[in-house]
Amino acid sequence: MKGYAELSLVCVAVTAPLGPVLAQEAPFPIAAWSRTAAGVEDRGAAVERGAAVFNNWCSACHSRGPANAPGTTSLQFKYQGTIPAALEDRQDLTADLVKFFVRNGVATMPQFRKAEVADADVDALAAYLTRPR
Amino acid sequence: MPKPPPGVTDSDFQAALRELENVVGRDWLFSSDEDVLLYRDGYSPLWGEAEERHASAAVAPSSVEQIQAIVKVANQYGLPLYPISTGRNLTYGGSAPTYSGSVVVDLKRMNRILEVSERDKTCLVEPGVSYFDLYRHLRTNKIKLWIDTADPGWGGLMGNALDRGGGYTGIDFRDHFDAHCGMEVVLPSGELIRTGMGANPQAKTWQLFKYGLGPWVDGIFSQSNFGIVTKMGFWLMEEPEAALQVNVTVPKRRDVVPLLDTLHSLMCAHTIPSQTTVASPLMSGGTHPELLRLRASGGASDEEWNRHAAAQGRPFWSATWIYYGARKVIAAQWEHTKDRLAGIAGIEFRETASYTFPLTDQQAEAVPDKARLGIPSLNLFGSRNAVGAPPSEGHIDFSPMIAPHGEELIALSDLTGKIYADMGLTPPFVGGLMFHPRTMICFHAVPTYRNAQDNQRTRRLFESLVRSCADRGWPIYRIHAHFQALGMQMFGFNDGALHRLHETLKDAIDPNGIVSPGRYDIWPQRLRGSRA
Repeated sequence: MKGYAELSLVCVAVTAPLGPVLAQEAPFPIAAWSRTAAGVEDRGAAVERGAAVFNNWCSACHSRGPANAPGTTSLQFKYQGTIPAALEDRQDLTADLVKFFVRNGVATMPQFRKAEVADADVDALAAYLTRPR
Repeated sequence: MPKPPPGVTDSDFQAALRELENVVGRDWLFSSDEDVLLYRDGYSPLWGEAEERHASAAVAPSSVEQIQAIVKVANQYGLPLYPISTGRNLTYGGSAPTYSGSVVVDLKRMNRILEVSERDKTCLVEPGVSYFDLYRHLRTNKIKLWIDTADPGWGGLMGNALDRGGGYTGIDFRDHFDAHCGMEVVLPSGELIRTGMGANPQAKTWQLFKYGLGPWVDGIFSQSNFGIVTKMGFWLMEEPEAALQVNVTVPKRRDVVPLLDTLHSLMCAHTIPSQTTVASPLMSGGTHPELLRLRASGGASDEEWNRHAAAQGRPFWSATWIYYGARKVIAAQWEHTKDRLAGIAGIEFRETASYTFPLTDQQAEAVPDKARLGIPSLNLFGSRNAVGAPPSEGHIDFSPMIAPHGEELIALSDLTGKIYADMGLTPPFVGGLMFHPRTMICFHAVPTYRNAQDNQRTRRLFESLVRSCADRGWPIYRIHAHFQALGMQMFGFNDGALHRLHETLKDAIDPNGIVSPGRYDIWPQRLRGSRA
């Protein structure tokens, strides 16, 4: 019932005027990519390629959210705060794990093809999500 | 080691792969098991079963000339091809071919936005351009045009239009195939055509006037397999001054009859410009025992339903839409709408969101109902939505189409509820979307799984829904690749005369049967025995 049931909830749940909300600062961090930043090819050397790959391909589901981040919301339900729900805040990811999920998907997240995210980009993504912090 | 398509010898297949590699280069021919598995339908209702559709290989060209070369190789070796654009048509088959053994032609690399005209409010794109891509391009370049996006923003303009998907904004834009203007197609012969005004190379109106001269053939390239579309033009919506999103609720079950009649009238008169969503807040109540009893009854009385709604303190129906334009005009449209609906006792009117454009990036991110403003997202996804709930693994959409009449919506709700209950399943939410102003698509998602037992039940359920609804005059408008033969059976007037015409066209346009055999149950002569 997933997709449409959620749509229906969205449609009936929004009942408060949003003008005042929109006039304020957003109450959550805005993902660098989502719908507004430049793509991988435009970001230049100043930004790590892996971060660009994340922003381009992952952040629409896995940004810090919780709004506009259904993957993060899903992982919050899964882990119940025992580990961070946002992938960029995780410190337990390994490169192999990142590559596995990109190429195999999990639950409703489908796998990604090499014509979408090339191996070199997956390597960069893994490097970004496993970087020392 | 890739397995050749049925009817192609191993040596011919290997020779064909070598030639394809010469066309696209080593990096863009995928023939290892590991790479080919990436083309599985992630939401397949046949996951892991013998009948699951698999590609034999995939090839990712970067130009029209490469596509023509691929088609030439396919004709030489009898290789079935399966072109995809972004490959994200999940719930309708994804990137997996309709005919197992096909070589997927992955057009994702062809992702150039070839032209955007702010003056003419049009664009021309390649197959791999996603809604995210075009939205980003417009925002980055401060072009005051809107896209109309499907719910998942990673989908492509071309692929969604060619499968006749829909969106949310104005009527000229949200019927995505109807919003296209001009296409370029590589025919199965390898010949390149441009439709409409594009057939005149000097014309400056390819994206402005659809028809050109002579028969208008664009329609045969949608939900079909008559060619590989390589470019499409689209009409884009000029950014309005303002928008007002509204919601109305009515208390009783039968109130949906005057509600829909009035909305239908207002949409046809263009007073309501957007897609209208009709839902039942009552049925979002989940697993309340009385709700389940009523849903399973297949025909509980209005009095029973109304008692339950009153006991829950919820209105029975809710409708949501949005006005776009000048503020003064919007105010007049909304007032007129309220006047027209005021006769429904207990109706409540709400203004749920008001926008003045352009939005800043932060404002755009904060919009909760993004698609109604042409903002792409993936917000409908998510595999878990409750503590301890099992993760969702996928779904296919069941999409019957009805006249926008309240009696029809109630009857459909009764029928589908009974079908679910008879199989021991919890009936789904039922509502409808008016992508098109004169019909309502009452789709709901049927879950798919990664195990055969549950998927077999899903397939029985889905087939029952398709057949039972078609028997009542509610056939589907679009359907998952596995069920396309079943779907076409529901359009069988005069012993399947329409389907015979489709295959007559197939034989004329694609005599070797190389493009997407079986898509929407159109089979080439040589493979007609393959029909499910």
